[in-house]
Amino acid sequence: MKKVFFFFCFLTIVLVSQAQTGVKLPALDKSPMDMAYYPPNYPVLRIQDKATEPLTARVIYSRPQKNGRNIFGELVEYEQVWRLGANEATEIEFFKDVKIGNKKIAKGKYTMYAVVHPTSWDIILNKDTDIWGAFKYDSTKDVVRINVPVQKTTDVADAFTITFAKSATGADLIMAWDNIMAALPIAFK
Amino acid sequence: MKYFAAALFFCCIACNEQQKPSTPTTIQKDTITPVAKEIANPYEPVDVSPMDMSYLPVDYPKLKMAKAITTPPIARVIYSRPHRQGRKIFGNLLKWGEPWRLGANEATEIDLFQPITIQNKKIPQGRYILYCIPQENSWTLVFNSNIDSWGLKPDPQKDLFSFQIPVQHSDTTAEYFTIVFQPTAANNRSANLIMAWDDVVAKLLINY
Repeated sequence: MKKVFFFFCFLTIVLVSQAQTGVKLPALDKSPMDMAYYPPNYPVLRIQDKATEPLTARVIYSRPQKNGRNIFGELVEYEQVWRLGANEATEIEFFKDVKIGNKKIAKGKYTMYAVVHPTSWDIILNKDTDIWGAFKYDSTKDVVRINVPVQKTTDVADAFTITFAKSATGADLIMAWDNIMAALPIAFK
Repeated sequence: MKYFAAALFFCCIACNEQQKPSTPTTIQKDTITPVAKEIANPYEPVDVSPMDMSYLPVDYPKLKMAKAITTPPIARVIYSRPHRQGRKIFGNLLKWGEPWRLGANEATEIDLFQPITIQNKKIPQGRYILYCIPQENSWTLVFNSNIDSWGLKPDPQKDLFSFQIPVQHSDTTAEYFTIVFQPTAANNRSANLIMAWDDVVAKLLINY
């Protein structure tokens, strides 16, 4: 009974906490934002003096959840431009010049999109930054567009995930959701 | 006892209903829903203190998408949002006089797309980390150049600007730490950077 009483005390606090603050505070996002670095975990390595390479790239993206839905070909339709996440368009920043395919990409910030096909994705880097979604995608501002194959994985990622993995020529940008994984090779070595 | 609990419950509901019409800008209900623990992620699980981003002008990316704005943004803050979970935050979880990263995980970052002025000091365009030293009645808010670092131990040798700001106590609590810009009523070239958690609200006035 005590537990029930404390539960209701807690509930009271929670409900009261919804009252006016005078400031509009945004709610927590359903598709929370996250950041991925190359080298992976760079900020932690840095304060431990364990970073052996300089910061090369950073991605800011939002993480929609699968929630039991079929993702590719349904929620994310084939042949449509997708923001590679949710909310704000996904942003990638390079801290030095890199190469994607045969294209030299200058140090700086870019917006990323993908056009999803059944067995491959087109990955797009575009110069128009600080925007929402892919609703105003302008292909004239593309910097590079490259087709990469996708793999079917046995593990399922419930939340859309972007992460970097070291490669022989630099790093692969890994993009995974549901049972699909794509890798974008980035060369800087 | 059961009846008492039920009565209390209905009382709470009733109170809450009554408040609704007069509080259009209340913290929304999902502010208090904890982040769902992710069932599976073979790569990188979702963080319990999720990251978020606030722009000045407020909702800049949406305004840009709607073509309601064509000028570049003024500033943006990238931070993580720890939640209170019934704890007393200030003077307890966060100790008086000890630096706090204004969030969780990575140090909180502020990007200035153009120079701004705070308390008559001009701050150049660029990227900074932001941390605070909370005291009972005021915070020291510090702009520091040690960007892309984890937030646990700021390096005071890289401090660039610091400001004293008063704190206010709200009669309500923010479950999730929140940073947001709020334009001032008087002047469209100024805004407050609002930092709120638990019952504490701190405001840093920015001119641009």
